Amino acid sequence: MAGAVSALFLLDIKGRVLIWRDYRGDVSAVQAERFFTKLIEKEVDPESHSPVAIDDGISYMFIQHSNVFLMTAARQNCNAASILLFLHRVVDVFKHYFEELEEESLRDNFVVVYELLDEMMDFGYPQYTEAKILSEFIKTDAYRMEVAQRPPMAVTNAVSWRSEGIRYKKNEVFLDVIESVNILVNSNGQIIRSDVVGALKMRTYLSGMPECKLGLNDRVLLEAQGQTTKGKAIDLDDIKFHQCVRLARFENDRTISFIPPDGAFDLMTYRLSTQVKPPIWVEAQVEKHSRSRIEITIKARSQFKERSTATNVEIELPVPSDATNPNIRTSMGSASYAPENDALVWKIKSFPGGKEYMCRAEFNLPSITAEDATSEKKAPIRVKFEIPYFTISGIQVLLYLTTFSGLYNLNGSCHHASIAQVRYLKIIEKSAYQALPWVRYITRAGEYELRLI
Amino acid sequence: MAPPPIVQQKSSSPSQPSGKSEVSDLKLQLRQLAGSRAPGADDSKRDLFKRVISYMTVGIDVSAAFSEMVMCSATSDIVLKKMCYLYVGNYARCHPDLALLTINFLQKDCRDVDPMIRGLALRSLCSLRVPNLVEYLVSPLSSGLEDGSPYVRMVAVLGVLKLYHISATTCFDSDFPASLKNLMLTDSDAQVVANCLFVLQEIWNLEANKSEEANRERETLLSKQTIYYLLNRIKEFNEWAQCLILELISKYIPSDSNDIFDIMNLLEDRLQHANGAVVLATIKVFLHLTMSMTDVHQQVYERLKAPLLTLVGSGSSEQSYAVLSHLHLLVMRAPMLFSSDYKHFYCQFSDPSYIKKLKLEMLTAIANESNTYEIVTELCEYAGNVDVPIARESIRAVGKIALQQYDVNAIVDRLLQFLEMEKDYVTAETLVLVKDLLRKYPQWSHDCIAVVGNISSKNVQEPKAKAALIWMLGEYSKDMPDAPYILENLIENWDDENAAEVRLHLLTAAMKCFLKRPPETQKALGAALAAGVADSHQDVHDRALLYYRLLQYDVSVAERVVNPPKQAVSVFADLQSSEVKDRIFDEFNTLSVVYQKPSYMFTDKEHRGPFEFSEEIGNLSLDQESMDNAPRFDESDKDLLLGTSEREENGGTSINGAATPGYSAPHDYNSSLVPLSSQTQSEPAVTSQTSFAIDDLLGLSMLAAPEPPSLKLNSKAALDPGTFQRKWGQLGVSISQEIPISPQGVGSLTTPQALIRHMQANSIHCIASGGQSPNFKFFLFAQKDDGSASFFLVECIVNTSSAKAQVKVKADDASASEAFFALFQSALSKFGM
Repeated sequence: MAGAVSALFLLDIKGRVLIWRDYRGDVSAVQAERFFTKLIEKEVDPESHSPVAIDDGISYMFIQHSNVFLMTAARQNCNAASILLFLHRVVDVFKHYFEELEEESLRDNFVVVYELLDEMMDFGYPQYTEAKILSEFIKTDAYRMEVAQRPPMAVTNAVSWRSEGIRYKKNEVFLDVIESVNILVNSNGQIIRSDVVGALKMRTYLSGMPECKLGLNDRVLLEAQGQTTKGKAIDLDDIKFHQCVRLARFENDRTISFIPPDGAFDLMTYRLSTQVKPPIWVEAQVEKHSRSRIEITIKARSQFKERSTATNVEIELPVPSDATNPNIRTSMGSASYAPENDALVWKIKSFPGGKEYMCRAEFNLPSITAEDATSEKKAPIRVKFEIPYFTISGIQVLLYLTTFSGLYNLNGSCHHASIAQVRYLKIIEKSAYQALPWVRYITRAGEYELRLI
Repeated sequence: MAPPPIVQQKSSSPSQPSGKSEVSDLKLQLRQLAGSRAPGADDSKRDLFKRVISYMTVGIDVSAAFSEMVMCSATSDIVLKKMCYLYVGNYARCHPDLALLTINFLQKDCRDVDPMIRGLALRSLCSLRVPNLVEYLVSPLSSGLEDGSPYVRMVAVLGVLKLYHISATTCFDSDFPASLKNLMLTDSDAQVVANCLFVLQEIWNLEANKSEEANRERETLLSKQTIYYLLNRIKEFNEWAQCLILELISKYIPSDSNDIFDIMNLLEDRLQHANGAVVLATIKVFLHLTMSMTDVHQQVYERLKAPLLTLVGSGSSEQSYAVLSHLHLLVMRAPMLFSSDYKHFYCQFSDPSYIKKLKLEMLTAIANESNTYEIVTELCEYAGNVDVPIARESIRAVGKIALQQYDVNAIVDRLLQFLEMEKDYVTAETLVLVKDLLRKYPQWSHDCIAVVGNISSKNVQEPKAKAALIWMLGEYSKDMPDAPYILENLIENWDDENAAEVRLHLLTAAMKCFLKRPPETQKALGAALAAGVADSHQDVHDRALLYYRLLQYDVSVAERVVNPPKQAVSVFADLQSSEVKDRIFDEFNTLSVVYQKPSYMFTDKEHRGPFEFSEEIGNLSLDQESMDNAPRFDESDKDLLLGTSEREENGGTSINGAATPGYSAPHDYNSSLVPLSSQTQSEPAVTSQTSFAIDDLLGLSMLAAPEPPSLKLNSKAALDPGTFQRKWGQLGVSISQEIPISPQGVGSLTTPQALIRHMQANSIHCIASGGQSPNFKFFLFAQKDDGSASFFLVECIVNTSSAKAQVKVKADDASASEAFFALFQSALSKFGM
């Protein structure tokens, strides 16, 4: 059963309590601070703590955001997944209010923080966590309402994530289709794992209570709609929707219909486990000439269509920690030695499809090495990139929009180069207005690792 | 009147005050402003209030300004009011007398025209947590529950819970739980309904073992009517409330299979919710509903895979960790269902180590004939990992896979390659593994010994690894030409060896070696025994002395003790009992899963909350009743897990057929575990015989004179489990004693049923039982046969290995408990005769 938490703490990077809300009076700030500072002292790397820990009968769950830790303490047997997610939601809400959540912004806004913590959780049970709804409860200076007091709307409204009476002069919708490619290649050059995680990120600035619809070229979806799937359809392994999407409707006729929240949100996330061709392929040869010199040759090849271009490509290759005197040449971009990461970092601003570039580097190694100090680091080659106007899954994006007065074809902003297209997006609003949709497609590297021999 | 200029000066500098002067300064300014109605006075007050709050937050005691703050709070400005509530809430508990000052204005605000203010005032009022103020809470709460604004109702509902924690009697006297129940089933606002459910669950769970009525109320929360009502409205609730409702549904006992399918169909779409907590809660419902339907249960696992794997891959690492912990639990329950998904559990370089650790365990569990090669190859990649603990874990994982597979050919080669990597920690871990491997697969000794023989003992420092190496030197001294000399070397450095474990092994190894190659080892053994007898560690001393005397007595006896023929280990004991695992599964989607411990192991009693109330009885399966209406999972699970045991049997190395790994109750896993050193291995045989003899003596002397029973028991006594639980909770222990059990009794106690039948013949009835060898637990009861309806309740924990029973008696009529206990003891003594 979802137990209640006892208190919520915001701590600084050293584990000192900045501000906290005591919900149940059975955990003190002193206890929490003692636990947390002990935890931080114990381990060098703050990333390596498990986010759930127990001390003296109290369960602590925490996450880190910039230089702040958010932590709950509970004596009951709580729902761990839900609490950790709740903390992330708290971060989102704070970011909405203070732009950035960090120690400074908290110190400047004690009162708002208290108010928010009170409305997001009562007696240890989560309540409302949508920033837009909360702004109806929060009355501090910055958000003082000039209009006459009226009862908070969320509670009189069937749609808990959106308030009524929102008005924009210019109605706009931004839709970003972002796909992250996760690749793991072993030292023999075999792809041992590959999957794609996609997200449809929306920002809506629409008046009233707009009804939106979205279509996809998911095979199951198209077949359910009786459409032919001529090889353009893709197989999504699993789809997850924002709570605004009418899931029952999706189950019945695979229509994705929703009243969007105001502002930014993730409409949908999906996963594809069919193996994809890695957009950027990297091969590296590391040769040790004698004991004092190491020579590295890296070949990077782009394996996508020529009309697309990868940007901000960054290839990080591990080098021995005692390497010195780098001598680096590249056929494109620039490469440099990053001793703080024990790595050679090769950056290519623009990498068109179907090209191959080279990088050669030489390092000196100290001729005398301590025999047992040579703990070879087996870090993999890691690659970062972004390919705009391209989705690796081939998810189709064509954008339509309907208002009360009819159906508009709105694939205006982006139809070049994209294989990936959302088929249509209908927006139905009683007071007819035109909305401007903007669609972007990006494929980027997620966990993209190639292991060295 | 303009605000004093001094205010502006101060408010512009948020400097940290150091002493009392600032506080008294603030007090003064607040007092000046208190009565001010001037335009702008509210703004100045806001600045001052903000400073007070900041001081309070950074830990400066500003409670001295209490009365001034209260004076200033007579305002219609909602921002000021909020800050004032905050302040009052913070200091009320340590200054109850001052809190009384605030009651008046809070009560007034509870009747304000603005619903915001009514709600906030009510929340603050209920949060004061001052016991002597409860009387002021009742009327605002009553009207709050009937308020026209859902915001106020929402606050009032949780206010009832706050009141309950301050004074439960006031809460019940005002009949609030009944109002909440009504509100839950009728209110139009979803959050009000959700809060009602939060409160009712918490109250009834805490009350459940105190009164039968509470227990009944708790049951009605799980009635079909309530569950269906909530199910039908589930889409109105926000994500957190949905989690709560799903959690409740997971405890619902469906009436038939249609019921199950209706609920699953209705909830199917929840698996697509973006909030991982909702998905996990839905998964729990599906798993628990289908517990009694083996094939559907298996399909559910298949259905759940995709959403779970997506959740692991998306979102923050904390979230992945929480989800992965649950996936881990499912993988451990049904490894073969996940065997094709092994690639999802490959570690990324950037995964935090707590995630890597879980993934390694899962990879180990799902390894089978089809994927072992890939998995072991991947694990070997990690062996050279930067993260040394993970590298160690990976090596251990390879070893575990080797121990659970029958085709270990390739794996042994890999392990031996590890030894050639010449990294200390790799060598250390591998040695320990090779040792375990040899205990299970003695046929590999030839290959292993060749490689192990090349390892210089100087490179092995970790006690565990050193002990393993020494064990191998002793065990295989025949095949290792250098063994006596390596041992001799080690014995020479006896005094530098810090770990007693290593010294113990050194003694045994020297003995073994001596028995095989006497001329070469005699000198070393002499030195070892001398050093051992002089050792300050008691165990080392004792063992050395034992060996010395054995050799003195008869070398052939020594040989039999130290070097008996060995059985290969078929299965290494599982650390966690299946009962514990089932408890964790029951508590799916809570911290229990993350800790891999049932909640009674990490929460205190009063915070245990729901469904743990039966902490003692809950461990055991309630005899008939619950069996009938609560479909449990033993059967379905066994089917699911059949593969594991089959695999083991196919292995052909299994000697002890009954000892299956994992989840089917390992009745005699004790016997299948062969301890590391041969010496300790053979000793138990001796000691257990003697201890038996001693027990026998004790048993006879104790049981020889059972008191003549003077009490008559009703042979047809009946008691339902609910009443038993309640009585158990209410009554105090009148007798608690340990009594011996005869060896015959121990022999007859193969299943709990045997004892239950025996006791029933003596008019003592069992209501619940459980456990497995060597520990059994029984809850029994008996009734006086004089029409008084006076009951005796007994908790009896039997440990067959020590041949003892721990008996606790509770009685309605405590004066008769001595007589009853005598009866009980005499009945127990006849068990197995």
